Amino acid sequence: MSVDQLPYQVADLSLAAFGRKEIQLAEHEMPGLMAVRAEYAPSQPLRGARITGSLHMTVQTAVLIETLVAIGAQVRWASCNIFSTQDHAAAAVAVGPDGTPDDPKGIPVFAWKGETLEEYWHCTELALTWPDGDGPNMILDDGGDATLFVHKGAEYEKAGGVPSPAAEDPEEWVIILDRLRNSLADHPGKWTTAAHSIKGVTEETTTGVHRLYEMARAGSLLFPAINVNDSVTKSKFDNKYGCRHSLIDGIKRGTDVLIGGKVAVVCGYGDVGKGCAESLRGQGARVIVTEIDPICALQAAMDGYQVATLEDVLETADIFVTATGNRDVITAEHMSRMKHQAIVGNIGHFDNEIDMAGLAKWPGVRHLNIKPQVDEWTFPGEEGRAGQGIIVLSEGRLLNLGNATGHPSFVMSNSFTNQVIAQVELFTKNDEYKLGVHTLPKHLDEKVARLHLDALGVRLSQLTKEQADYIGVPVDGPYKPEHYRY
Amino acid sequence: MPLLAALYERFDRERPFDGLGIAACLHITAETAMLVRLLRAGGAAVSLAASNPLSTQDDIAAALAHRYGIAVFARAGIDRRGYYRHIEMALNEAPHGPDLVIDDGGDLVNTLHTRAAALLPNVKGGCESTTTGVIRLRRMAAEGALAFPVIAANDTATKRMVDNTCGTGQSAIDGILRATNTLLAGKTVVVAGFGASGRGVAERARGFGAQVIVTEVDPVRALDASLRGFRVLPMAQAAPLGEVFVTATGSVDVINAEHLSVMRDGAILANAGHFDVEIDVRALAGLAKAVHVDVRPHVDAYDLGDGRTLLLLAEGRVVNLVAAEGHPPEVMDLAFGIEALALAWLAGAVLGNTGDKLPAGVHEVPADIDAEAASLVLATTGTSIDTLTPVQLSYRESWRIGS
Repeated sequence: MSVDQLPYQVADLSLAAFGRKEIQLAEHEMPGLMAVRAEYAPSQPLRGARITGSLHMTVQTAVLIETLVAIGAQVRWASCNIFSTQDHAAAAVAVGPDGTPDDPKGIPVFAWKGETLEEYWHCTELALTWPDGDGPNMILDDGGDATLFVHKGAEYEKAGGVPSPAAEDPEEWVIILDRLRNSLADHPGKWTTAAHSIKGVTEETTTGVHRLYEMARAGSLLFPAINVNDSVTKSKFDNKYGCRHSLIDGIKRGTDVLIGGKVAVVCGYGDVGKGCAESLRGQGARVIVTEIDPICALQAAMDGYQVATLEDVLETADIFVTATGNRDVITAEHMSRMKHQAIVGNIGHFDNEIDMAGLAKWPGVRHLNIKPQVDEWTFPGEEGRAGQGIIVLSEGRLLNLGNATGHPSFVMSNSFTNQVIAQVELFTKNDEYKLGVHTLPKHLDEKVARLHLDALGVRLSQLTKEQADYIGVPVDGPYKPEHYRY
Repeated sequence: MPLLAALYERFDRERPFDGLGIAACLHITAETAMLVRLLRAGGAAVSLAASNPLSTQDDIAAALAHRYGIAVFARAGIDRRGYYRHIEMALNEAPHGPDLVIDDGGDLVNTLHTRAAALLPNVKGGCESTTTGVIRLRRMAAEGALAFPVIAANDTATKRMVDNTCGTGQSAIDGILRATNTLLAGKTVVVAGFGASGRGVAERARGFGAQVIVTEVDPVRALDASLRGFRVLPMAQAAPLGEVFVTATGSVDVINAEHLSVMRDGAILANAGHFDVEIDVRALAGLAKAVHVDVRPHVDAYDLGDGRTLLLLAEGRVVNLVAAEGHPPEVMDLAFGIEALALAWLAGAVLGNTGDKLPAGVHEVPADIDAEAASLVLATTGTSIDTLTPVQLSYRESWRIGS
C-alpha cells in the first residue's frame, strides 16, 4: 500500500460499520474514559490542543481518540507497531461516528495491519504533520517513536544535516535517517519549530519511559513528559490483570489444550509473571516458577509455587511461558530437551526471550505451520526418524497479542484514562511541569481508580475526619505515600 | 449449634426415642454433649463412652455426668484396656443392653459382636459416624457378621462436604499449627489420600501458600487431584521432598520405614485419618536413636542419629482432635443433626410406627433426610434458595422434551 496525501490512510473504509459496533461495545467496558468524557465535555480543556498519537490503532484506542476529540482536541494518529492495527477500528475512526465511508468525517488516522517499516515511519511523520505544515503541540506516545522522530529531526537541524548510517546500523535506523533527510531538505527548521511548540508528551509504556529518562539524564529532552506507565492504575492493570486475562486466552485460542492437570512453567515472577501464574493455577495447572531475583523467588515460594531452575523441569513440564523482560531465557538447547508437544510462548514485551533464531538454525529441525501464530518445530530423532515436536506460539512474540487480542477494554480503560488526564494536566497546567519526566500525582491515580469502581459495583468506605487525622492523610486522599507498594 | 437447637424443640415435642436405650461411642467434646442432650430430650436413656483414648475433654465428661445425668465412661489419656472396658460399661448400662447404638470408628459395634455378644438380641439398629467405621461395618456385613441394621450417617453428600472436606480440612491444619507453630507458606506439604478429608486438607494447605503434593492409590482421585493442579507422586518419591506430611487415607502403613528413612530433617508427621495406623510409629521408633517426648505439647522429636530429627504429632493419632479442638461446632452441628435425624427415623422403624423394618446390614441415609438437614442449616443461616416451579418439575421429570 502506498501512502499518499489523503487526509487519512487505512486498509478498508468499508470495515467502519463493524468497527463502530465494536467501539460501542468497548465504550461500555471503558467506564473511566466515558466518565472523563462526560466530566470534561462542558469545559473543553483540550480546546487548542493538537495531539499526535502514536499508539496501537485498536478498538480501545478508538475510544481514547474519540474521548480526546470530545473534550476539545484536534488529533492525528498512527499506530506504534506494524502489526497491531485493527483495520476495522482504524476505518471507524477515519469515518467517525457521524460520517459514512463515502463521506468520512472522522480524524486523520494513518495505520493498517502489516505496514512495511518504510510505511510505518511515513505514517508516523504524517501523524506529526498538520495540514498547514506545522507540527503538533502535544504528543501521546507508546514506545516513544513519535517523540524520537521530533527529537532526532530537531537534533539534525541543529547539526546542519542528517548523518550517514553506519554499516552496522539496523535497517530501521537507516529508514528513519532517510526520512529525516528528505524532511530537512523539503521543510528546513520544521522539527525545531515543532519541538518548541510541543508542550509535552504523555508516554504509555516501559520502553518509551526508559528512553525519556535517558534523554532527560543526557540533557537532550526538549519538552516535559508524563510517565503514564508508572501510574498504579496503569502498570498493575496492564501487567498483572491484563496478562492474567490474556495469557490463558492466547494459549487456548492457539492450542485449545486442557490447562487443568498440566505442569506450567512461568519464567519470571514480576507483575506479569504473578498474573500468569495465578491464572494458570486458577485453571488447575500445577505452576512452577523460575526466577533470578531472590525476593521474587521467595514471593513465589510463599505463594505456594514450586521454584525451580528451567533446567530442572525442561523434560517434565507441558507449558512454558516467559515473562522476564530479559533475553535468551529459553534457548534452542532448552527446547531440544522438552517433551513432545510441549507448548512454548512468550508474554514479555520483546521477542528475544525465546531464542527463535537459534531454534531455526538447530541442525535437522523441521518447521510446520499449524495455523496462524501456531507452529510446530520437530527435532531430529534417532536414526533419521522425527523426534519430539514442540508447539511455539506467535513465533516467540507476545502470545497474548498474537494468539488472542491483548488486554481487554476494561484494563485499557485504566491506562487510557491516565493518558487523558495526563494530556489535560500537561496542556492546561504546563507551567507546573518543568522540563523532565514526571509521574501523575497520586490523587489523579486514585481518581482513575475511583472512576472504575461503580461499573464493578464496588462500594467504597469513607474516612471520618478523625480517622484521616489519625493516619495523617486528607479525607479525600491521596491515601498513600509515594513509595507505597500496592 | 443452631441445627441441634432446632431439632431439640422438635424432639422434645415428638419424643421419637421414648423408652429406648441408646449406647454411644463418640469423642467426648462439647458438640457431642449437645447431641447426647438432644437424644435425651427425645426420650432416650443415653450411655456414653469415648471413641478415642486421647480425645476426651474431661470437663465435658464431668458436666455430662453431673449436670445432665448421662452415664459417661471416659477419661483422657486412658490406656487401651481401660478404653475397651469403658465401651463395655456403656453397653451394659441398661440390663439387657441398648436398643440403639451410635458409633464412631466401629469399636463399639465390634465390642458388641465379640466381648458383649450376649447383648446383641436387644439391639435393633445404629448409626456410624465415620468413614473408617463404615468401611469396617461393610466388611462385617460382607462376611454376614453384622447382626443389625446400621445407617452410615457419615456417608451423605452433605456430611462429606461439610464434615470431611471443610471440618477435617480446617481442623487438621489447626492441629498442626497449634502443635508446631510452623509457617505453611513456602513449605512442601504432602497429603496422603485425596478423599473428602484429604482434599480439604490439600486445598487449605494451598490456601496458606504451601506447595502441596498429593499421594493416592485410586486413579480417579489421583486424576481429580491432578486436574485441580496438585502434584501427584508416589509416597516413596514424595517422602524426601515433604516438610509436612498429613495422612488422610483410612489405610494402614501409609508412611512406612522406607519413607521415614529418606525424609528431610525437621519433617513434621501428622495423621488426620481416624486410627493411629497410617503412620508406622513403631517403625519410626525403631529408626530413632533417641525420642524426646513432648518437646512441645503433642510433639515428639525422633532423633535418627544422623543429624536428622522427625517430629511426630499427637503420637500419630488424629491430629485435629488431639492437638486442636476437633471440628468446629458448625460442622459437628450438621454431622450430628444428620445422625439424630437418621436415628429418629431408625427408631420409628424399630418401634414399628413408620415403614418397614430394616434388614441387618449397612444402609444409606435416606436422601430426603440429607436434604432436610441441609435445608435446616440454610434456614438457620438465613439463606434462602429457589424452588422449582411446577413447569420446571414436569420438565425435569419428562423424557419427551428434547432439543
